[in-house]
Amino acid sequence: MSAVDATTDGLAAPKRLKRRVAWWKSAWFDVVQFVLLSGLLIWITWRGAASMDYRWQWYRLPRYFYRVIDGELIWGPLINGLFVTLEIAAWGMVLTLIIGLITAILRLSESVGGRVLAKVYLESIRNTPLLVQVSIFYFVLQPILGINNPLWTGILCLAFFEGSFASEIIRAGINSVHRGQWEASTSIGLSKTKTYLYVILPQAIPLMLPPMTGTLINLIKHSAILSFVAVFELTTEARNMIGDTFMSFEVWFVVGPMYLVLTISLSTLVGWLERRVRRHR
Amino acid sequence: MAAPSRKKRRIHALDIIVLAAVITLVGYIAYRVDSVLVYKWDWSAIPSYLFRWDEKTGTLVPNLLIKGLVTTIRIAIWAMVVASILGVILGIARTSERLFPRLVSWAYVEFIRNIPPVPFLFLFYFFISSQIIPLLGIDEFIHSASPGTLTVAEFLFGPANLMTNFVSGMISLSMMSAAYIAEIVRAGIQAVPKGQREAGQTVGLSHFAVMRYVILPQAVERVVPPLAGQFITLIKDSSLVALISIQELSFLAMEIAISEQRFFEVWIFTGIMYFVVCYACALAFGRLERRMGAYRR
Amino acid sequence: MARNTGDNAMIRLEGVSKWFGNFRALCDVDLTVDQGERVVICGPSGSGKSTLIRCINRLEEHESGRIVVDGIVMDDDTKHIADIRAEVGMVFQQFNLFPHLSVLENCTLGPMKARGIGRAEAQKLAMEYLEKVHIPEQAGKFPSQLSGGQQQRVAIARSLCMTPKVMLFDEPTSALDPEMIKEVLDVMIELAETGMTMICVTHEMGFAKTVADKMIFMDAGQIVEAATPADFFSNPKSERTKLFLSQILSH
Repeated sequence: MSAVDATTDGLAAPKRLKRRVAWWKSAWFDVVQFVLLSGLLIWITWRGAASMDYRWQWYRLPRYFYRVIDGELIWGPLINGLFVTLEIAAWGMVLTLIIGLITAILRLSESVGGRVLAKVYLESIRNTPLLVQVSIFYFVLQPILGINNPLWTGILCLAFFEGSFASEIIRAGINSVHRGQWEASTSIGLSKTKTYLYVILPQAIPLMLPPMTGTLINLIKHSAILSFVAVFELTTEARNMIGDTFMSFEVWFVVGPMYLVLTISLSTLVGWLERRVRRHR
Repeated sequence: MAAPSRKKRRIHALDIIVLAAVITLVGYIAYRVDSVLVYKWDWSAIPSYLFRWDEKTGTLVPNLLIKGLVTTIRIAIWAMVVASILGVILGIARTSERLFPRLVSWAYVEFIRNIPPVPFLFLFYFFISSQIIPLLGIDEFIHSASPGTLTVAEFLFGPANLMTNFVSGMISLSMMSAAYIAEIVRAGIQAVPKGQREAGQTVGLSHFAVMRYVILPQAVERVVPPLAGQFITLIKDSSLVALISIQELSFLAMEIAISEQRFFEVWIFTGIMYFVVCYACALAFGRLERRMGAYRR
Repeated sequence: MARNTGDNAMIRLEGVSKWFGNFRALCDVDLTVDQGERVVICGPSGSGKSTLIRCINRLEEHESGRIVVDGIVMDDDTKHIADIRAEVGMVFQQFNLFPHLSVLENCTLGPMKARGIGRAEAQKLAMEYLEKVHIPEQAGKFPSQLSGGQQQRVAIARSLCMTPKVMLFDEPTSALDPEMIKEVLDVMIELAETGMTMICVTHEMGFAKTVADKMIFMDAGQIVEAATPADFFSNPKSERTKLFLSQILSH
């Protein structure tokens, strides 16, 4: 940072002049403060653990990721749990999109029955906790519908939950296309379906993409609630590990960042998508 | 509950398709329940879990489900209060001119929003109940409190024997909700036009006075509606603390379902209870908002 | 270019420069405004007029040069900034009235919360100035219930309630419908007649001819021409000024 005094002759100064900033006003000082605060929090946590006579056993963790037996790589429970979480997110996203699309179509349709059904679905999802929905899916609907894999009950439940948000995103995306586009398409003789296909959706889908990625992030976050029922995703595996080994801190300090890496990399993707969409508008 | 399944077909016949889909699904469920599972519905146990007859006093007293609902509402209200205080501070920090408060607030909000609530609750509950709760001295308070104070405390925080449990669940929930409230507050403050701050400065107000008399009063109007929504979210999210054994509605429903072996009835009824509370709140807040909106402009 | 005219200077700018990123908004500006002097600044959009007057009360931070207002040097000292702001009133293009406060409360907020004046006295003061801008009867209304011209007059009264020594006007009539411009200009002319030191950024050349002691033309962050209104309009020296005047006066 170049600090030149304010009385310098402006004509002779081709470069930008910056007044001297007091050290306690500079951005660096703020960053240092922040680092110190973070350090303090870590220290408090560590002191807290020490005061409970907590025995750190980090060395026991690696084998919960993977083991090599007879030259063969075997994934540990944490990696297996991560795979299940990703599987839930992937299938969940597909189903979420289908449910969201159907609901959006029903809501935008002229059919009274369709709109009522969509409304009943949306209100019952919005006004009950996800945990209760999971319970109803697992304890009530699973036996009634004869689903024999709790994983699929979980995926179905999450898809119905996120589907309510997805339908909102789809509806908002379609509604955000200017009314004049409908009028223009009608005037050149396109049917309603063709207007959707060739005029409305090509404009609406880029707008839906960033919030849809947000829905995917939520799927990952909310999949942790399936540890409540017997779905062996990441959080369930973590809880089982704690039950076996009592390494609460180590396990959560590892599982938390695993989720963080997943969600933050997706958020970064959302940010990138949003910038791209804006550039094209 | 809704029978949420349907098929996508032609638009013009949509009504018939929807009707057919719903009838098919309801019929299939009835067939499965009656003929395959041979399940006998029995709702008779539910009312006794709402209220029971107390032989000693000869009155009707609330039983588990109502007690659970009261705990749920209690925890949501307290968490809302604590989270609002924390969230307003964080939200204001987020709009600060200095980097340090912005950094702290940003780190907190992103941390909370990117970790799933369930692992977060487990970690926090573990930490709070072992570290922070002893500092608050709740146990000593309960032992030393006079019967009168204890009655007030029990009204506010629930039964004495569960108070530490309640408070740690409530704090964990508040920490989570505060991040979302911080975002609401930040958006509210940033929606106030820049000229307002400048006008405040030119009539000689200090930084604090501009915030207190110019920015915040205008931000409040924008913040109240989403904050009401956040309260409903809190009622729903409070069910998560069932996982850390806080005895609210979901937790007690779970216990009753297991002890009675009546999973269908108990869970459906619990869902209805939540629905009624949340939907009533949504309707009330909606009406309130319309009335506020009609007041000016 | 304007030079120092002794001890009578209310505002003095010496070599003031300001950048937005790599864009140089103000380029080594010198300006002296005497007590009671009325200065009108004009120039094409983006020429730095608004930036210049916003630097005078630190809504923008100048990066080099020196600004002195009524003997107070503008620096990072918050006390100095507060002292200067207490002496300098400002009226904005977009009025910037406080929408959540009534007209009266808009006027009393500064005196009560910055000066610590009691409510009754502040209200008396506010009514006095609302009468000067001819809208005492609107005191109980909210800004959104007033027309643009009325809002701008309230904004002027709000500034006057702080009994400033200098008033800055940043295109006060640009956001107004044509039929409301006159009522605001009339108030400004009356204010000029009381001997208030004023700096106005405006394109209202009729107003400028009536009240200005000095005309300033800015372009590309520099003061291109500073002259008396008579010289400025009849005999502009710079080509850029001539071009600008021909564009703005052609209709």
